[in-house]
Amino acid sequence: MLSVTTRIGTGLAALLFCFGLQAATPKLVVYTYDSFTSEWGPGPQVKKAFEAKCGCELEMVGLADGVSMLNRLKLEGANSRADILLGIDTNLTADARASGLFETHGLAIADTALPGGWNDDLFLPYDFGYFAFVYNRERLANPPSSLRQLVEDADGPTLLIQDPRTSTPGLGLLLWMKKVFGDDAGEAWAKLSKRIVTVSKGWSEAYGLFLKGEADMVLSYTTSPAYHVIAEQDSRYAAARFSEGHYQQIEVAGLVRSSERKQLARDFLEFMVSEEFQRIIPTTNWMYPAMAGESLLPAEFGELIDPEPALLLDEDSVAGQRKAWVDEWLEVMSR
Amino acid sequence: MSRALPAAIVLALLALLVLAPMAGLLHLGGLPGYEAADLRFWDNAYLRRVLLFSLWQAFLSTLLSVLPAILVARAFAMRGELPLRRLLLGLFALPLVVPAVVAVMAVVSVYGSDGWLPLGRSLYGLNGILIAHVFFSLPLAVRLLLPQWQAIPQHHWQLAEQLGMNGWQSWRFIEWPMLREALPGVLLLVFMLCLTSFAVVLTLGGGPRSTTLEVAIYQSLRFDFNPARAVLLALLQLALCILVALATLKLQRLPEVEIATSAPARPASALRKWIDTGLIAAASLYVGMPLLSMLLDGLGGPLFKVVGGGGFWRALVNTLTIGLAAALLSTLAGWLLLRYSAHLAHCQRRSAARMVELAGSIVYVAPPLVIGTGLFVLLSPHVDVFGWVYPIVIAINALMGLPFVIRSLGPAMRQTHARYHRLCQSLDLHGWNRFRYLEWPLLRRPLGLALALVTVLAMGDLGVIALFGSTQTSTLALLIYQQLGAYLIPQATVTALLLLLLCLGVFALLERLVGGADDAAH
Repeated sequence: MLSVTTRIGTGLAALLFCFGLQAATPKLVVYTYDSFTSEWGPGPQVKKAFEAKCGCELEMVGLADGVSMLNRLKLEGANSRADILLGIDTNLTADARASGLFETHGLAIADTALPGGWNDDLFLPYDFGYFAFVYNRERLANPPSSLRQLVEDADGPTLLIQDPRTSTPGLGLLLWMKKVFGDDAGEAWAKLSKRIVTVSKGWSEAYGLFLKGEADMVLSYTTSPAYHVIAEQDSRYAAARFSEGHYQQIEVAGLVRSSERKQLARDFLEFMVSEEFQRIIPTTNWMYPAMAGESLLPAEFGELIDPEPALLLDEDSVAGQRKAWVDEWLEVMSR
Repeated sequence: MSRALPAAIVLALLALLVLAPMAGLLHLGGLPGYEAADLRFWDNAYLRRVLLFSLWQAFLSTLLSVLPAILVARAFAMRGELPLRRLLLGLFALPLVVPAVVAVMAVVSVYGSDGWLPLGRSLYGLNGILIAHVFFSLPLAVRLLLPQWQAIPQHHWQLAEQLGMNGWQSWRFIEWPMLREALPGVLLLVFMLCLTSFAVVLTLGGGPRSTTLEVAIYQSLRFDFNPARAVLLALLQLALCILVALATLKLQRLPEVEIATSAPARPASALRKWIDTGLIAAASLYVGMPLLSMLLDGLGGPLFKVVGGGGFWRALVNTLTIGLAAALLSTLAGWLLLRYSAHLAHCQRRSAARMVELAGSIVYVAPPLVIGTGLFVLLSPHVDVFGWVYPIVIAINALMGLPFVIRSLGPAMRQTHARYHRLCQSLDLHGWNRFRYLEWPLLRRPLGLALALVTVLAMGDLGVIALFGSTQTSTLALLIYQQLGAYLIPQATVTALLLLLLCLGVFALLERLVGGADDAAH
């Protein structure tokens, strides 16, 4: 009887001790997309590395994608548990800026790998990539060498793309076409649409269909072939280099204004642009690290196409005209 | 009264779970980035086209699923002795659990340009949508219609034989009247399934020509961040389904004469047997081919890498927990509703009885994205929603499972009530004793089917977990999506296969444990 009571007592003491410890450890909450937090994404390594130095707990909350994260933050307003939002891209930054939910990060970036440099006091980049059409060398011997050629050649390759209403690459292609064709984008879409096999909800469906051989090319990233080479030792896949340049996607993080642990959050942002974090990115997120440094990249990334010049529309024109452009796209594609 | 009160509580809870989140979203003024923009979407040509297309594809899908399903269910009913019958019927429960993106891949494995029956580019468009929807709905309709034949008593067949009825006459006077009780509900359920289809329609549809109302709702809520418009579109979808429901109910007739349940196969001619076998073979092939392609893809994949991953087992446990909890909740709610509805039907208040069932079914078309976001808006100021992910996911899955409970349990429950209610009253048999000695033995088979259907349905649902986001919570369906999103397509095919096998096992186990071992004819 006595021993039971003693055990219970010891158990309770241990429990209280644990609670005490937990309360002493500050917790940093990061909202991100769930492929970042998945076991093969950057999340687990980032958590381990940051916790080793911060003496804190890093909690990463995985949401469906950048749009969901931002919407979630807007819905929560000042009650949000989030200290950091990580994983929106420059197509959403205008919207995020207008929400007034973010605070200046106060960090200076010394040496970015971004072609246009970086100058933004609310958002910090952690990686970037370029959209491209990926093909299988064994199935397509002569890929087009420009976006214009892809559009104009009526006997050109068949395509799989994503819907700009539901997918980031889908929106990327819409902006890419706008950047290259300007006011004639609608006409260009009309020509292209005849060879578009289907328009999928997300990247996964289109890429899966492409690997099943449903079309000659799929809209993806210039870095996609690196995955096949590094993870599968398969060098059949390549991205087609387009002479106009490739539309860029820059992924950023921001400090949430309502955070009660701003110093810790700033420490995290500083860690995010450090070499340790940046080195994790290429083979987990399959993107380019935002910071400069050749040594950050695995050798296989050197084999990828040179996507320059980088194409990017400024965030205000995207925010202002996105709806009109999607409506135009819908109109042309529904004919 | 003892029946009305629980049913009223269930109905009130349903209304609360559907309408409160919508109201929450409608009252979202003053939010950063949210404009109560132009809500007069009615004169928008795009939305009109979306509406027409949604209805047209759902109508065609329903027709192409349910009409063949009647023939196939009939063939299954007539061939009780067929070898592999049990296994085939087990397979027919599986398409329901296949996550949409996996189903798309499976359909493409069969009908894609490198597939077994290549359709080339003509796959993308209405063809592909219909192929995928029939793959989902035909086997479901077979499972739900089959019990109707099994409820036809032996002496009806004997009478038919003595009267020298031919096939057409026995169909017209014996089978069709039986079928009319269940058919409208099955039509409505399949229609709702196809109307709210999203990823399948978008991906196999060939482009934005094939956009459903569900896509427009998703777009309003996420892309345009216009919650009010999303709610209005959701209400429009709800209203459309009520109209369709009322139309299908016109077809419904409850049998005038109540009958006993005994289900022997009927003696049939050799030709009839061949035709039935052919129908079963064709349907099994149609349903089986995409499943077989998943099996082959999965067997070739890195099995050990997947089951060795830390997330797999946690996801498996979560999947089972959510599935079973949602099924229990859904079946309990369905039971209370159906008991009241059966009582109303017995008291000759048939339209009221139908309305109760309809209320339980129609909630299916409330878009989970809208419900989930609305619940979030309502709950997040008061509680820590991360702690509530499980209850919310289970509640929404139970809601989505309710029409399946009503379809699989409804007819049998009404018949049982009609036959035995007076007997029970004269014997003063009620409450637990009535359940224990009367309802359980008579209803355990449809109960087993209902539980099994909702469990696997919830297990395959990607649903609201991704929407709420969390650090730990993961399910197998979500794992598949994450793997597909990270180039890990071979891993995803293995996970999909394991999910499928798990569902097959759970389905068989629940049907056996709850439904009873003696269901060789089922």
